[in-house]
Amino acid sequence: MNYLKEVFASRELLGNLVSREVKGKYSRTIFGQLWSLVNPLALMLIYTFVFGLIFRSKPEPGDPSGLDVFALWLLCGLLPWIFFSTVVTVGAGSLVANAGLIQKVYFTRIVLPLSVVGSTAYNWLFEMFVLVVALSIAGAFVLPWIPLLLVVMILLAVFSAGVALMLAVANVYFRDTQWFLSIGLQIGMYLTPIIYPASLVEQASRDVGGLAGTSFTLIDVYRLNPMDHFVTVFRQVLYDNRWPDGIEMLVCLAWAVGTAALGVIVFRRNEKNLAEAL
Amino acid sequence: MSETAVRVDDVSKSFRLYHERNQTIKSAVMRGRRSVHEDFWALKDVSFDVPQGSTFGLIGSNGSGKSTLLKCLANIYYPTTGSITHFGRLAAMLEVGSGFHSELSGRENIFLNGSILGMSKKEVTRKYDDIVAFSGVEQFIDQPVKNYSSGMYVRLGFAIAINVDPDILVVDEVLAVGDAEFQERCFQKFAEFKRAGKTVILVSHSMDTVKAMCDQAAWLSHGSLMAAGDAQPTIQAYLDSVGHDEA
Repeated sequence: MNYLKEVFASRELLGNLVSREVKGKYSRTIFGQLWSLVNPLALMLIYTFVFGLIFRSKPEPGDPSGLDVFALWLLCGLLPWIFFSTVVTVGAGSLVANAGLIQKVYFTRIVLPLSVVGSTAYNWLFEMFVLVVALSIAGAFVLPWIPLLLVVMILLAVFSAGVALMLAVANVYFRDTQWFLSIGLQIGMYLTPIIYPASLVEQASRDVGGLAGTSFTLIDVYRLNPMDHFVTVFRQVLYDNRWPDGIEMLVCLAWAVGTAALGVIVFRRNEKNLAEAL
Repeated sequence: MSETAVRVDDVSKSFRLYHERNQTIKSAVMRGRRSVHEDFWALKDVSFDVPQGSTFGLIGSNGSGKSTLLKCLANIYYPTTGSITHFGRLAAMLEVGSGFHSELSGRENIFLNGSILGMSKKEVTRKYDDIVAFSGVEQFIDQPVKNYSSGMYVRLGFAIAINVDPDILVVDEVLAVGDAEFQERCFQKFAEFKRAGKTVILVSHSMDTVKAMCDQAAWLSHGSLMAAGDAQPTIQAYLDSVGHDEA
């Protein structure tokens, strides 16, 4: 409790660090904030070309929205994933990158990884705004779902923050972490139904049957990935325009709260040794 | 003497000197959990009180533990045993300008750095003019700090730190910055601090500085406290020992 109070007292510092990141990131570029859209758009073009046109991946049309555009369906999963992977990657390096500051000034260290969450969320909001506009133009009725969308976005941000806190500490002790992480995130992206619908995995799971003679199936293992649940909920809200399954929401909530709590505990336990370990 | 501002109570600090450190997962797996190290005691049972309103100098040769002690005072390191208690708001100036973002302007950096040092936005706004005036970079305050000369950079950093207005100020060898005029202004600021009944703890290798500014001093040698108390005799004892070692 005292710790939370201390973190809360540093909110101005957090705000300033976030604006430092935001202002510094695209300074001296001609396109400025627009660069934030370029990466997702490039990925969208590549994946739409490869998986939409060549492999003919056919996700079901949005129900009840009636949308049937692969590129938009893709972005509903891709933008949350890019947010998660950016927070985790940059957040994991945030303590090492600010080693000079940590060794010279006392402040609540947790603001460093949290400021990464804030500045990445700023870009993400911008991207999601553009996506909502695009969805509306395509005929989806997204506007009434925006409050719920914000709730899910906050849940994902909390979950990502928890992961980033743990990895940031791990990276101080083992610099291998960041290299493992980039591989892990690549694998994670293909283990999450972003560029293909989860129904294909269900299909494959039925074909394979129980794994190694047990009643566990492929899909049960697949569902252990928390990002699978987040992407599902984002699609239900944004692409289908309907209430997400209650159970999926609960799973997301549990992952967010559990990971964040663990992240704060791990961070707190190691906070005092950071200056020496760096 | 009046009340105590900082009590250093039996403080020891050890560092691990790693011969072979498990800093990669490979070495951790290959060698099991063991990493080979020995403890190095940078501070050994140091105790002293810093009276309130004094200017307190820490002196000693290189590697005597001054900076470690200062970092412990500043809450950056934590003592292995013993405790440090301070009464009042403490600010540390171990390096000026740390946390500056080179692409941001001087003005934005004042607010950023101020909040890193624990000032609220309101406080910074109130002291903004003082900070700018003290730093002497008015003309360039809206330029990105990467274009500053190193002197301007340090002066701006120093101006922010000194305006935190703490009860206790901890200063590492940062006084050697800026030109003679700026140094003069710094000394005046410290004198002002003293008149306001505030405590300053500083590390310096320049005995002239310590003699001129400090009324109390502590002398560290190889992590142990040799003497603490009034500045004159402590400095004299230190100088004598150096003379003996080298002559």
